[in-house]
Amino acid sequence: MSDTSFPARPSVFGNLKTRYFNGPVNSTVTVVLAALALWVLYGLANWALVHAVWGVDQGDACRANRDGACWSIIATRWRIVLFGLYPFEEQWRSGLACLIMVVVAVLSCVPWFWSARRLPILWVAGFTAFYILMRGGFFGLPEVVERNWGGLALTVFIFSAVCLIGMPLAICFALLRQSSLPWVARAMGLIIDTIRSLPLLAIMFTFAIVLPFALPEWAIGESLYRVIIGYSLFFACYQAEIIRGGIQSLPSGQEEAAKALGLGYWHRIGYIILPQAFRNALPPTINQFVITFKETTLVTIIGFFDVMTSGRTASGTADWSFATLEMYVFLALLFFVFVFSLSRYGAYLERRLGVGTR
Amino acid sequence: MKIAIKTLLASTVLTGLAAVSAQAQVADNSRLKTVLDRGSLLCTGHNGSFLGFAEVDDKGVWKGLDVQLCKALSAGLFGTSEGHLEIVPVSWAQRWPALQSGDVDVIIKTSGWTQSRDTELNLAFSTPYFIGAFQVMTHASLGAEKVADLDGGTICVNAGTSVERSIANYAHSNGLDIEILTYENGDEIRNSYYEGRCDGWVEWAPALATGRVDAPDGADAHVILPDVIELEAEAIIIPEGDADWLDVQNWMLSSLWFAELNGITSANVDEMKANPDSPQIATFLGVSPGYGTRLGLSDDWAYNMIKEVGNMGEIYARSMGADSPYKLDRGVNALYTEGGVFYPLQID
Repeated sequence: MSDTSFPARPSVFGNLKTRYFNGPVNSTVTVVLAALALWVLYGLANWALVHAVWGVDQGDACRANRDGACWSIIATRWRIVLFGLYPFEEQWRSGLACLIMVVVAVLSCVPWFWSARRLPILWVAGFTAFYILMRGGFFGLPEVVERNWGGLALTVFIFSAVCLIGMPLAICFALLRQSSLPWVARAMGLIIDTIRSLPLLAIMFTFAIVLPFALPEWAIGESLYRVIIGYSLFFACYQAEIIRGGIQSLPSGQEEAAKALGLGYWHRIGYIILPQAFRNALPPTINQFVITFKETTLVTIIGFFDVMTSGRTASGTADWSFATLEMYVFLALLFFVFVFSLSRYGAYLERRLGVGTR
Repeated sequence: MKIAIKTLLASTVLTGLAAVSAQAQVADNSRLKTVLDRGSLLCTGHNGSFLGFAEVDDKGVWKGLDVQLCKALSAGLFGTSEGHLEIVPVSWAQRWPALQSGDVDVIIKTSGWTQSRDTELNLAFSTPYFIGAFQVMTHASLGAEKVADLDGGTICVNAGTSVERSIANYAHSNGLDIEILTYENGDEIRNSYYEGRCDGWVEWAPALATGRVDAPDGADAHVILPDVIELEAEAIIIPEGDADWLDVQNWMLSSLWFAELNGITSANVDEMKANPDSPQIATFLGVSPGYGTRLGLSDDWAYNMIKEVGNMGEIYARSMGADSPYKLDRGVNALYTEGGVFYPLQID
């Protein structure tokens, strides 16, 4: 009776009823699953919020209370997670540098910056600012060598450097692999397959540790940059195959039509092939970015304090060794923020470019 | 007259040469020279934390037993470690290549002296500075004071390790009727022990000590028995064939034990230096010359070390022993006068 006076309501309940309660089996499943979900959520909220211990230096309170999470470890040791072994007094620089990189990444998602001139300028400026802030030695900033970089700033730096070096490399690789000269195409194919068949860990280890024995003195450089170059090669090989997939998914008429119009090789590639190839290859490209971000954690094996290692270090002391779970939850949240925004941006791009619809 | 001056000059030069040769001849290719020229020591840290040996405090500063030794070495070389020490985080796998490539000058990273490392990897070892003993932890409520008191009980051990055999041999040779339970997985053995299925748990003693801090019923409910089931000798490691650098390592360790044996601490070292108890201590603290110059260092190098980090007893207490959260009894790691295996070398 009252339903008739509120026309919007019955549709909601009706929806609920037809979707979740249309029969004894469905109703039971719904009730059981809802109860389970509520129970899990209740337990989680109890642990993470209700019984949790907050505030700086509450280690003893945490030990006394094992029903709830001990967020005190984050409040006390967050600087180690975010900045690693970066000198304490200079950590604002690391924070600012990290922020600059995030801003640059966000800005480069704005379509206004999508031009061959603006995008490189933005990234070069961003990287220069990042490097000056982190490394110091200029403008009265004390020098901090790469060895002491760490935490989130290091992870962000490795990730963006790898993507920026790896992407152009990947395009080169993909084009060489598609070359009409068979020996170029075969050689490139062999290189790509060789590098892809090596584990990333082995590549990093080789570039960081074995390479200095083989290289001449002047070419050794910092191990951080050697690792970035090795990782970029690895990234480029995977990404090259993704781009090649994108290129091969184009109807051959596209290139033939461009040829018929009299466009040269670079015009064909730059205006016809690559834009469409990238559009088609967008979902796996985003996938590759996400994987790359997560695999930066492997640098711990060569002694770098990336955000994961820093987190483990933060909980690795007698005062906090009981709170490793809380630390991992915090790390997971950090990763989630980055990776989720990356995926959402990918989804936005797909919508904008109409991937899969046209 | 001219001849007289010439003779005078020549004799001056000769005296000068004699003075130089009284100083140590540090080989040009020695890591010691490289380090002194660079003005800072590159010492090993950890990629993360290794409880008790290398940890990071709230401000990102390294602490722990291994790090203290790095500090001592740096203070001995340069007078103070402040600004002269870089702790380079390296992983376990990275240790040896990092040493060979010069990323670190010395490995002080709880690394055992094994034959393959000594021979095949071309590494040189100092005298061991820490005995990584495998000991038994038991529930305090059982009241056991030695492993023999666990006769008739159950001891848990990780499967497939050499300790598994050692504990069996230990029980057999001591005529103990102990049931030995093996576990494949570290978490399983931990849970079984804390749930009370095992009366004892054999493990590397520092790992037991750092682990019991998080015991569900509190660290005080568990005692680590003094009996040593098996041991690994941890030493400072440098590349082979660098005698000058190795000398510095050995005498650094010896100095820390010498100071402990003679009651020289970071608190009273200034007093001791002003009023040395014996000529030997006077030499040791650089009041009379020789102790440092023979190594190519300044004569007060030992004083600088003790001043900064204290003697070995202080280092142990601060990182692993009574003043630390881990409270691991020093046991075999004590000086020989206190039932341990360590001793200083003779200063002459």
